[in-house]
Amino acid sequence: MSWLPLSFGFPVVLWGLLALPVIWWLLRLTPPKPQAEIFPPLKILARVFKKEEMPHQSPWWLTLLRLLMAALVVLALAEPIFNPREKLSTSEAALAMVIDNGWTSAPDWSLRVATAERLIKDAEVNEAPILLAFTAEKPNTQIGPYSAREARERLNAIKPRPVPTDRPAVYARVANTLKELPGATIAILTDGLAAKDDQTSFATLLGQNPRNVVWVQPTRLDTIALASADNEVDRFTITAVRAPSNPAPAYLTAGVFDDKARRIGDAAITFRPGEARATGEIIVPFELRNDFSWIALDGQGHAGAMRVLDENAKRRRVGLLSQTPVDQSRLLLSPLYYIKRALEPFADMVEPASPDLIEAVPDLLAQKPAVIVMGDVGTLPESVRAPLIKWMDEGGTLVRFASSRLITAGNDPDLLPVSLRLGERLLGGSLSWTEPQPVAQFPSTGPFADLPAPSEVTVSRQVLAEPTPDLVDKTWAVLADGTPLVTADRRGKGMVVLFHIAPQATWSNLPISGSFVEMLRRIVQLSRNQGASGARAESPVATLAPYRMIGADGYLAPPDGDTKPLQVGGGHVPAITLDNPPGMYGSEEGVFAHNLLESDAVLDPLQRPQISVPVMSERYALDESRDMKAPLLAVAAALLFVDGLIVLWLGGMFNRRRRATQAATAAMVALIVASSLLMFMPVASAQDSKPGDIQAIDAISKTRIAYVLTGEASIDAISRAGITGLTKFLVEKTALEPGEPAGVDIAKDELAFYPLIYWPIDPAAPMPSEAAIARIDEYMKEGGTVLFDTRDQFANGIGTDSASPATERLRDILGNLNVPPLEPVPADHVLTKAFFILPEFPGRFNGSPLWVEASLDAENTDNRPVRTGDGVTPIMITANDLAGAWAIDENGDPMLPTVPSDPMQRVYALRAGVNIIMYMLTGNYKSDQVHVPALLERLGQ
Amino acid sequence: MARIGEASAPVATSDALARGRLRASLVPDLLVEARRIVSTVIAGWHGRKKRGIGENFWQFRPYVQGEAMARIDWRRSARDDHTYVRDREWEAAHTVWLWADLSPSMLFKSKSATVSKESRALVLAFALAELLSRSGERIAWPGLTDPFSARNGAERLASHLAQAVSLPAKPDLSGIRRFSDIVIIGDFLDPVEETMAWLDTLARHGARAHLIEVADPAEESFPYAGRTEFTDPETGEKLTAGRAEQLSEAYRNLYAARREELAAWCKRLGWSYTVNHTDRLASDALVHVHMALTAEGHGPGGRR
Repeated sequence: MSWLPLSFGFPVVLWGLLALPVIWWLLRLTPPKPQAEIFPPLKILARVFKKEEMPHQSPWWLTLLRLLMAALVVLALAEPIFNPREKLSTSEAALAMVIDNGWTSAPDWSLRVATAERLIKDAEVNEAPILLAFTAEKPNTQIGPYSAREARERLNAIKPRPVPTDRPAVYARVANTLKELPGATIAILTDGLAAKDDQTSFATLLGQNPRNVVWVQPTRLDTIALASADNEVDRFTITAVRAPSNPAPAYLTAGVFDDKARRIGDAAITFRPGEARATGEIIVPFELRNDFSWIALDGQGHAGAMRVLDENAKRRRVGLLSQTPVDQSRLLLSPLYYIKRALEPFADMVEPASPDLIEAVPDLLAQKPAVIVMGDVGTLPESVRAPLIKWMDEGGTLVRFASSRLITAGNDPDLLPVSLRLGERLLGGSLSWTEPQPVAQFPSTGPFADLPAPSEVTVSRQVLAEPTPDLVDKTWAVLADGTPLVTADRRGKGMVVLFHIAPQATWSNLPISGSFVEMLRRIVQLSRNQGASGARAESPVATLAPYRMIGADGYLAPPDGDTKPLQVGGGHVPAITLDNPPGMYGSEEGVFAHNLLESDAVLDPLQRPQISVPVMSERYALDESRDMKAPLLAVAAALLFVDGLIVLWLGGMFNRRRRATQAATAAMVALIVASSLLMFMPVASAQDSKPGDIQAIDAISKTRIAYVLTGEASIDAISRAGITGLTKFLVEKTALEPGEPAGVDIAKDELAFYPLIYWPIDPAAPMPSEAAIARIDEYMKEGGTVLFDTRDQFANGIGTDSASPATERLRDILGNLNVPPLEPVPADHVLTKAFFILPEFPGRFNGSPLWVEASLDAENTDNRPVRTGDGVTPIMITANDLAGAWAIDENGDPMLPTVPSDPMQRVYALRAGVNIIMYMLTGNYKSDQVHVPALLERLGQ
Repeated sequence: MARIGEASAPVATSDALARGRLRASLVPDLLVEARRIVSTVIAGWHGRKKRGIGENFWQFRPYVQGEAMARIDWRRSARDDHTYVRDREWEAAHTVWLWADLSPSMLFKSKSATVSKESRALVLAFALAELLSRSGERIAWPGLTDPFSARNGAERLASHLAQAVSLPAKPDLSGIRRFSDIVIIGDFLDPVEETMAWLDTLARHGARAHLIEVADPAEESFPYAGRTEFTDPETGEKLTAGRAEQLSEAYRNLYAARREELAAWCKRLGWSYTVNHTDRLASDALVHVHMALTAEGHGPGGRR
């Protein structure tokens, strides 16, 4: 079988194919001897035969089908394997697999998993424990030893990570574990990318006396990654790197995307043969460049092919100059305060250490800012004028504001866009008839053209420009009377911009308006950075939350739970770790780009270290060996099914007239289904009863009124007798027929079954536990009602504030409950009309109000006889000892006398109970009854 | 499973002598039975007093619109306001040809049948011969005898049959003339077109035919099931059906269609077509044919 990539587990079984002729002979013999009949109308029969003829032997194709079936079964029993592969010899002691799942492994991760699974399969034969470590995972993750099944689960749970591998730590950990498993096989599944300290880490791992080593490495390291992206003066440059050993030329494109993932630019990158670095350029206007959010190499599905951009590429440095030292107590009058606040979101502020211009200006220029804002600078010393003008000529943008110092300094054609009239204009002052001027529409020529005119801004002081013919061209913003508000002029590659007002809110309220921020943002966007400045050690340390992460597959994704905030600043570059995978950190307003590769990164292929033990070199490949037994058997089974169908068809099963046969078949199928159902039914309805079910069913099969078992036998007996009396009264007077009274232990019993729980407060009874009160609280929240009865209406001294012990206990209990605001039952409350019309709710005593939850609004009472409102009060409090009045003995006689002894009071007490129960069960239904006349009236029409 | 149908006599199609003897041995029994059957229908056969073609006056009857004007008896009609036609008494001697199919397929007799088809056909033929001879008609067997009139017509026919060396499967019918009746007894299992082509001569000559199909119940109901090998007794052709019951419906349709087509064709020509099953009495068919033979007049529109 060398011509076919097929091998057999039991080739002996193939001799069974010799049986095929016998099977063929047997199949040919099958038809029985027919019954011979003389039949005169044979000619008529012969015409029928032409349509439905069945020869006395089965057709040749059916025979062939059956022979094929037999052959397939024989072949399947011989356990054929397609594409048989070499078994990897693994040690019986253990198999230690270290797998690189760093960023380069993402494109062909499935190949790596398949290779690892093959190794696991081979180790499974030896039942060897398997150590499974991944170099891009945290070193402290679990590495085993696993069984083969666990190892597979673990393997399938691991995904490639968008971070570099950490071989030293992980290898050290595996080596540690291997100390206890000498003679193991070490399988190293590398990603082919060299890393720092590879020599030592491999030495650590291989120093554990392994029996042999399986070394798996990709055939070629063809990863191409983005190393840098630079925003230059007139173009955007992208640099990609690849392994230097790669001799083939490569052409690829990089796409540039904005923050909405729209592709707004393309760059072609060409690697010439043998080249490890290549660049591509995108020449687009800088406004568009500012929208660049990330760059991705097309067709490279890994994290290195994506590079996120942050404000460093587009963020401008803005130098701030002011001659007024900052006075912390008068911060709002500081000339730079509003400018700083306006620029903060989108620019890096650079401030000189000293306010002295001679030091400050060179200090600023050394940091190569894109913009220098002069708050209230008048005259510049000669020594700094020249560098400043040179900086402007090279592209710097100088933004100046009017101030009294500027006016006194006089005209300066180099550092001012227009020549000024010396002196300021005051509008709307106490000695002026003029009103403060609003700002007119921005001229369509300037950069503010598309901003809306700030209607709320007025200017009361300004400096005026000399009316020169080119003033209009230089004007970016004007006031309503046409005088310029902002003027600008080119100076070489740069420009100078003058705001004709002061940067504080004293001259105009422009600095405190939103337009000011927008105007400054435009100006800063127009500017361009004058070069990179080194990271400054003194920059503050900021902690940025993860915003959008680069996934291992090279796409942006929201951060997952493992990602930690990134510490930025403090002079060090944050490392790419599993805690801080590459991506954008920060927020929508501003992000910090945390990229995988440094701009000078190189991708070196990994060299196999010298290994003293036997090494088996493998490549990543899918397991192509296929056990053909199952497919063959499946095909044979399918053929059997087809054969069955054919036999049925030949037998006339599908003839519609064969009702009897069909019915028999249907009955058979039904029988099979029914029997299988019967078999499964008991499983489906397995035991799901729980203890307490019977009690629960008892409790809910009838409406039952509950009372709290206080623990005091006498009180409980009265409660029970009271509820019994009320129940009897309810049965007599209403349609409601409650069940037996239910005594509940609030600490244990399920309360949700009862609409109302009567709770006689007894100071002598033990205080209910916290948990029990919590249960009561939950019961009340879920819609139950507790009727507290302190039974002490006449226990208090009249007119004293002293509370009875029962009231004290009630207060203790309620202290732990979420009790809503309470009120005595108002005269128009539903409770007074739920069944009987009752002005009061007496019990054994009379006089205590019944407290219920306060209705939300009592105003809407104009035309209504009853108060509206949804819901039912979760709590009722009385002191009238209702249960005492309701209580009856076995003969139906009242047990306790009422105070005063008035038979009607007992009746009223019972009626109060009926109203309470009805209110409980029907809610605000009664309050809706007020609509009945209106409804009836409508129905009548 | 026992066989359903069988050949009632040893199949010896080629042996003419054996057939003759067999037939001769059968004839006496058949004659007896034929006489017995005839005696049941003999009543009503007396008196041939009816109008027809003849010399003597029979009756005057009112002229009916559509009759030939030449047939009006003007002398009688002149006597009153009505127009009369003179009918004459039927006097012409009538020839009735009898023929029964004696091919091997007629030997078939199934379990549910009482006699074979051949036996039934001969019984019917001899019974008719007996009947017709008694009433003085001339009878004949095409291909065997010329028309003759004799009191013992059935015996003479039987002796002729017994002495016949070989009988054609389908006799030449061209000698049968107009105003003759022919009774053809057979199973008519040949294709309808062949039967029609054979009988077309009769139609063209204006003879009136009475077809009696002798059918075995097994042929009609097709009670076969299971794997069955069918043999044609005439040609020896064989067909094996894997499941004979599957064929039954289509076969029955075809069988009935053949009979219906033939019957419709006969009805169109004014002929009669009678079906007699071998599990029923021969008298059924005899009565039916008797009525068809005595039906008034010749040609289309005759009462069956």
